Amino acid sequence: MTLFTITQWIASASLLFSIAAFSGMWWRMQRRASGVDRSVPKDSVARGIRYAFTTGMASWAKESTRLHMIGYLRGVVFHLGIFVGLAVLLLSPWLDSISDSVRWGAAVLAFVGAVMGIIGAIQRITERNLRILSTPDDHLSVWLVSIVLLSASVAVVSSEWLPAFYVASSVLLVYAPASKIRHCIFVYFGRLFYGIHIGRRGIVRGLEEHHA
Amino acid sequence: MPDTTITTALEFLEKQLNRPLATALEVCARCGICAEACHYYVADPDPKHVPAYRGEQLRSIYRRKHNLLGKVFPKWVKAADLDETMLERLAEIAFSECTLCRRCTFNCPLGVDTPLMMRAVRGMATAAGKAPEMLVMLADAAIEKGKDPEMFRELFLQQIREMERELQEMVGDPTAHITVEREGARVLYVALAGAHTILPPATIFHAAKEDWTLSLYEAANYGVFLGDPNRAKQIAGRIIEEAKRLKVNEVVVAECGHACASLVWEAPNWFGETFPFRIRSVIELFADYIEQGRLKLDPTANPEVITYHDSCNLARTSGIYREPRVILKAVAQNFREMNPHALENYCCGGGGGLVALPEYEEKRLKAGRPKADQIRNAGAEVVAAACENCRLQLGELNDHYRLNVRVMALADLIVKALRFPERTSRPVESDCSELNACREIPSCT
Repeated sequence: MTLFTITQWIASASLLFSIAAFSGMWWRMQRRASGVDRSVPKDSVARGIRYAFTTGMASWAKESTRLHMIGYLRGVVFHLGIFVGLAVLLLSPWLDSISDSVRWGAAVLAFVGAVMGIIGAIQRITERNLRILSTPDDHLSVWLVSIVLLSASVAVVSSEWLPAFYVASSVLLVYAPASKIRHCIFVYFGRLFYGIHIGRRGIVRGLEEHHA
Repeated sequence: MPDTTITTALEFLEKQLNRPLATALEVCARCGICAEACHYYVADPDPKHVPAYRGEQLRSIYRRKHNLLGKVFPKWVKAADLDETMLERLAEIAFSECTLCRRCTFNCPLGVDTPLMMRAVRGMATAAGKAPEMLVMLADAAIEKGKDPEMFRELFLQQIREMERELQEMVGDPTAHITVEREGARVLYVALAGAHTILPPATIFHAAKEDWTLSLYEAANYGVFLGDPNRAKQIAGRIIEEAKRLKVNEVVVAECGHACASLVWEAPNWFGETFPFRIRSVIELFADYIEQGRLKLDPTANPEVITYHDSCNLARTSGIYREPRVILKAVAQNFREMNPHALENYCCGGGGGLVALPEYEEKRLKAGRPKADQIRNAGAEVVAAACENCRLQLGELNDHYRLNVRVMALADLIVKALRFPERTSRPVESDCSELNACREIPSCT
């Protein structure tokens, strides 16, 4: 068995573990009471949910993101990099059949994502509010993801680095369900409940008009 | 403190842990982008005023039980066991450093509902006997009075008869009436404790030829501020039962943010039913009258520069931000928005029951500074607000920050602008908010 095969198996097992753990989290969440809202809606819930997951995420849609536009966009690029890193992991057995331009594109996105992550990690140390808010888990999580993205950016164009990428990904995938990274599951619920609130109570129209 | 107090608080938290609350406790990424969304932080940029920091205080307890790392390596995720000091600090945060205004939720990229967490903390503190005594006393007094309304009915009716005479004089119509608990009326109007929330709306109802009656009870619900669904349900239950008994079509709530939000959006869930009548704010009804052309209004009666303060409970919680502007554009000559306004408006600092808590006056006035700045920057002479608690706080901000404005209810501005066909002069020559200022009447609070 080669190092490549061993690390690939470890990464596959970690991925399955992570999927199982996140699925369990999702299932446990669905089992919690949500209750039927018996108040009379003022407007469309669907419209609110649609807004919450689309234009409501735009950088101009909230005062906070307008004030911290660069920081928000840094976060957006970081998370875009994470999606790319995940795609690299899932497609890694077939990297040879993917065109060079796509691989180089993925490498750039993952690298930029990693840089954004590292900037974020440094900000957690240098900025007063973030330093006080952060837990050791927050620091490790951001560094871990950034390292995975860095390794992804190299491995996607240079396959001899794939074992290193697999090892880094395995650590991340096993750690993620217990860490702050689990917010990736709960963000769906967060935006959903926000969307229901603004839709049901007739607020979404005002938000849409305000930011039109 | 006996362990049972901590156990009671933790049991309350577990009982409240539904999907939205669990989401709020899990989803925060601690990015801190919510900081400037909070008026406390704007007034005093201390990290402890960042909404995420407030949420973390409850999350640390939650993680101790519901997170693997929190169970095994609590320090790694800043998890902690709840103890007396922590519960007291949590209660202080929830009751005095968060007005549940939802501004942070609207500004969070992930949708973290910090007010929901703070309400859970309020409920935990109330269950554990750590809530501010004043709020507990007010809530319990309302429940007790609701048990035997006959004790107050006669005195209340006597006051209303006096008010009816004033109404007849104001509108120039001896047939104008204020009925109490009249069966079959279209609208049941639920006022607050004070003639100023009855007489101006009564004048408007008369002008619009509304078929209305007055509730025996007061709309305020201190159980909501305590985060105690049982008390809140008992207080709201008096109005719900009254409306059912009288077979009204609509329950219309006075200019009061939390009373409106709790009756419209929460009461149906406390009772597990959709009521056979509509519930809405009196502001929505007045805006309807104006749009239907049922009121004859003269905006020159209000020539001052008027700005509007959006109550958080009306705007961000109940979606009432268009209706006040319909009213103001019809009754005022110089309506000017403050910046930001409507759904992005800053809390005045008096929400969440804070105006009722004298022990937090200093904090409350300090947190109101962003609102005071907004009013000053708008160059307003009059600040209109459709919430009693907001008006009380705005009045105090006016004195504290020397804003030199008058604080008025929307109903007062409408009454000033009203023209009655029966009369040639204005119905109210002086400022009606002063005329009726907070004259306490013994409604069943």
